[in-house]
Amino acid sequence: MFNRRLTMLVLAAFIIAATGGSVTLVPAAAADTTVTISQGVDPVTMDPLKRTITPTTNVHYNLFDTLLRHDRDGKLIPWVATSWKRIAPTVWEFKLRHDVKFWNGDPLTSADVKFAIEKIKDPAEGSEQGPRIATVDHVDTPDAYTVHYVTAKPTAMIAGYPWEVFIVDSKYWKEHGDAYQAEHPMGSGAYIFKSWRKDESLVMDANPGWWHGRAPIDHAIWKPIPEAAARVAALRTGETDIITNVPAQYQIQLSGGRSTQLESARSVRVLFFAFNTLKPGPQQNRLVRQAFNYAIDVPALVKAVLGGRGYETATPLPSNFFGYDAKIPFYKHDLAKAKALLAQAGYPDGKGLDMVLNAPSGRYNKDKEIAEAVAGQLSQTGAKITVKIQEWTQYVNQVSNRSVTPIYELGWGNDSYDADNTLTSLFTASARLSTYSNPDLDKMVTDARYEIDPQRRQAIYSKALALIHEEAPWLFLFEYEDLYASTKRLVWQARGDELIYIDEMKLNG
Amino acid sequence: MTAYLIRRAIGALWVVVGVAVTVFVILHLTGDPAAVMMPLESTPQEIAQFRHNHGFDRPLWLQFGTFAWSALHGDFGDSLRHGEPALGLALERVPASVELALAAISLAVLVAIPAGILAAVRRNSLLDILARVFSLIGQSMPVYWLGIMLILLFGVQLGWFPVSGIGGLKHLVLPAITLGLFSMAKVMRLTRASMLDILQSDFLRTARAKGVLPLRLILHHALRNAWLPIVTVIGVEIGSLISQAIITETIFGWPGIARLAVQAIYDRDYPIVEVVVILAAVSFVAINLLVDVLYAALDPRIRYE
Repeated sequence: MFNRRLTMLVLAAFIIAATGGSVTLVPAAAADTTVTISQGVDPVTMDPLKRTITPTTNVHYNLFDTLLRHDRDGKLIPWVATSWKRIAPTVWEFKLRHDVKFWNGDPLTSADVKFAIEKIKDPAEGSEQGPRIATVDHVDTPDAYTVHYVTAKPTAMIAGYPWEVFIVDSKYWKEHGDAYQAEHPMGSGAYIFKSWRKDESLVMDANPGWWHGRAPIDHAIWKPIPEAAARVAALRTGETDIITNVPAQYQIQLSGGRSTQLESARSVRVLFFAFNTLKPGPQQNRLVRQAFNYAIDVPALVKAVLGGRGYETATPLPSNFFGYDAKIPFYKHDLAKAKALLAQAGYPDGKGLDMVLNAPSGRYNKDKEIAEAVAGQLSQTGAKITVKIQEWTQYVNQVSNRSVTPIYELGWGNDSYDADNTLTSLFTASARLSTYSNPDLDKMVTDARYEIDPQRRQAIYSKALALIHEEAPWLFLFEYEDLYASTKRLVWQARGDELIYIDEMKLNG
Repeated sequence: MTAYLIRRAIGALWVVVGVAVTVFVILHLTGDPAAVMMPLESTPQEIAQFRHNHGFDRPLWLQFGTFAWSALHGDFGDSLRHGEPALGLALERVPASVELALAAISLAVLVAIPAGILAAVRRNSLLDILARVFSLIGQSMPVYWLGIMLILLFGVQLGWFPVSGIGGLKHLVLPAITLGLFSMAKVMRLTRASMLDILQSDFLRTARAKGVLPLRLILHHALRNAWLPIVTVIGVEIGSLISQAIITETIFGWPGIARLAVQAIYDRDYPIVEVVVILAAVSFVAINLLVDVLYAALDPRIRYE
């Protein structure tokens, strides 16, 4: 008797616990004109003038307008600014559209652009976007729809990228104060901010009064899912429409799925190993650095570790960047040449070479596995190579104070499509991340930044890249191919700069 | 009892202070948040400005003094990542975490105690064997693996439950099972063992001889005497849920405080980590105190002077 009752009790407990009532499952993307986007992390703030991390700025790019936009190929196209030209050696003039309004009806004017730039430049503001406007001395506003960027000295158009600063409603900002902006943005972009439950969902609706025309998708939901396997599962069940950072092992499953498709784009992010030439060791010898470059078989590495999703690089720049020079050859895999160079450097058969390959774990796609594969290939020279993997936060501390040595892995994503940011940040002697010092190169990089004529500027970069290739302060590896996946109902093409513009999407049918 | 509670509360305060000091020192010894928070291309001047803005350029003792004084006034500083008050960011995520923890522990208790009792009463039966096997497996499965398996089976293949995020009760099922299964297995094993001990005692034989109905015998006489170790373990398990929630909330995209903590640790977001650890310490201490108080309620022989 009591056994039966107890069994019933257990069954009841199971039923209550497992069914959780009679709530019907409603997929997040129930409405036809709603898309759900799942990145790994939630945006950290709605204040668009503070941070630079992609998952946050991806949301901002849909809420706020910028002066200019990059098209998918990296070319600058008119946006809120209809035209731009140099009107004096140190003055760039931007003419603004007259029909751009913030969601509250306030007109977007040159004062708003000036306000945003000045906010970022204010040290007390603690903005991370300072490097974007490093060349801007101040902003003048001759009239409501004209902006003058004034640089300290004549500066090339792309040195930094102030036109990617998000334009905020200065009147609204002053009325409500700084702290208010973190959760109550006021933009003029394609989508209007509706609600945000942190780490849960951020909802935005198409802006019916957008100057560029109402976007095809009515609603967008940003729903972060930290774990990659769970992101893939959510896409397969239709809970989300787009997922970012798809691990390579899911390629086949997602591209062959009934309702899923794989999206990819040649990334602006390059992966490399840098030699710390500022610290003593064999890495200070150019012949050793060149030998190691010859010892690496990049195509084989990309095929084995990334399933072929990567493009070999001969220099630090992706091929669609201003400054890139296709004439500079790859270090083609040649083990015999590598060994000969090592012998010439005083390390026959790699004897006497005992080096550590440092790498982070979980920061870049397959970072650890790539380090292990590179170590395997370098060992073929006879050198003793040990891999040291560290968690990113520890690792980046050491990279930032240049203490990690002799060889360390790093990735660099430069979405300005221009050589300046990469070369200034990673190769000039004063840069925090540079472990290479060469006054000739420093001069070239500085000259290029302030060279107004594009042809002469390109010539300087070609010379600089040839020098970098010859000096080999890096083990040149590859550009990533970024992987996304989406549901088949969505028509969308991924971009190499990792940005997600919802106004570039539409639904099938 | 009141004097006891006051004594315990003072003791708990010291525990929380100890935790706060330890976390503060450890955090400040494990790296510079500027390196993680600022873009890699930032200039040394920008890094210095960041440190200055957040007071990291001052001596550690002074930083701690400022932190402690502000914390006493309920101000734990602004999150370095979000730029908003850390306490607010943490507190707004507490309800989601409490919801998940309550669901997990309720599930564990509702299943484990009846099952444990059944297994003990019907010792060596098929049910008992199944319960023991379940208990073994439940305590052996890593939470991470279990979560992913549940997602694949019940979310992707069968389509019964959503695989990510918070929403209705359906959203709660998979994360609650993932988080609660370990505790369920442990409580079940302990309930069974505890009941087995009691069931063999003389007073139960006497009760049975007097003709007490079997259900009353089990629930009133036996279970009542078996409660103490079970309640103790449940208390400890609720505490351990705080740490296990880190994995569960991450897998299921659950917007709770543990997920906030993980991201904050990655970012060296000191104020958030401090707040979360202090809140966790307070909860742990409070649960332990509650368990001690429950002893007295469950066993009239226990009295606190």
